Amino acid sequence: MIDYAAFPRLRPDNHRITSPSAPDYNCVAWAAGDSGSWWQPGVYWPVPTPPGDYGLGVLVQLFLSLGYEDCGADARPETGFEKVALYSDGTYYTHAARQLPSGKWTSKLGKEEDIEHDTPEDLSGGVYGAVLRIMKRPVPTTA
Amino acid sequence: MPQITLPVADLHERFRRLAAAWKKESRHLSNTAQMAMLPSYQRIIGLGLAAVPLILEELRREPDQWFWALESITDADPVRPEHRGKVRLMAQDWLEWGQQHGYLTA
Repeated sequence: MIDYAAFPRLRPDNHRITSPSAPDYNCVAWAAGDSGSWWQPGVYWPVPTPPGDYGLGVLVQLFLSLGYEDCGADARPETGFEKVALYSDGTYYTHAARQLPSGKWTSKLGKEEDIEHDTPEDLSGGVYGAVLRIMKRPVPTTA
Repeated sequence: MPQITLPVADLHERFRRLAAAWKKESRHLSNTAQMAMLPSYQRIIGLGLAAVPLILEELRREPDQWFWALESITDADPVRPEHRGKVRLMAQDWLEWGQQHGYLTA
């Protein structure tokens, strides 16, 4: 169940719940397209990370390794590209959201539900801090 | 410094209260390090080995990110490499470890 006090910009008209709660995967996994694992540096993380580093940099490195590149703060939909938004509270990376083909965004809220939301900013200003990076990659083609 | 041991009933009550607080505070977090630094979680780690059976029982009841605490308290890491990231399989490895080491009954 969503604690709306943690997300001051989330309103009934800018999001909808799209899954039940699940402790099996987190937002990073979900943004990377995996709903079966909890991605965490030092436990399960596809690229090497410095021990004890849990900041935004390790999240950026992860998505670079997945073929994304930095596109600053441009969260607008781009034909042929998929985007992720990365959040931080200034100490830890806190969240990753993924843009859907519709231009809306999908997020796994910790151990709770997945939601579809209108913009990355809908989840900022509370427990996730701020959106600090948008990254994009070409939409993978299927053979 | 003398070691202070809580009566069992007090220990259970304190753990129950701290675990409930941590679950509430961490429900929307995805970064396990951030979750582990919450004061409620740190206080559970501070309970030491006496908390291990309680953490394992909680893990058996509901899989969650208790692995950081268990590793910190016991200095063990029984999770098989192929189970890393799979929360329910990681929990299963810890429950087996708990039974093998006398922290948990089958």
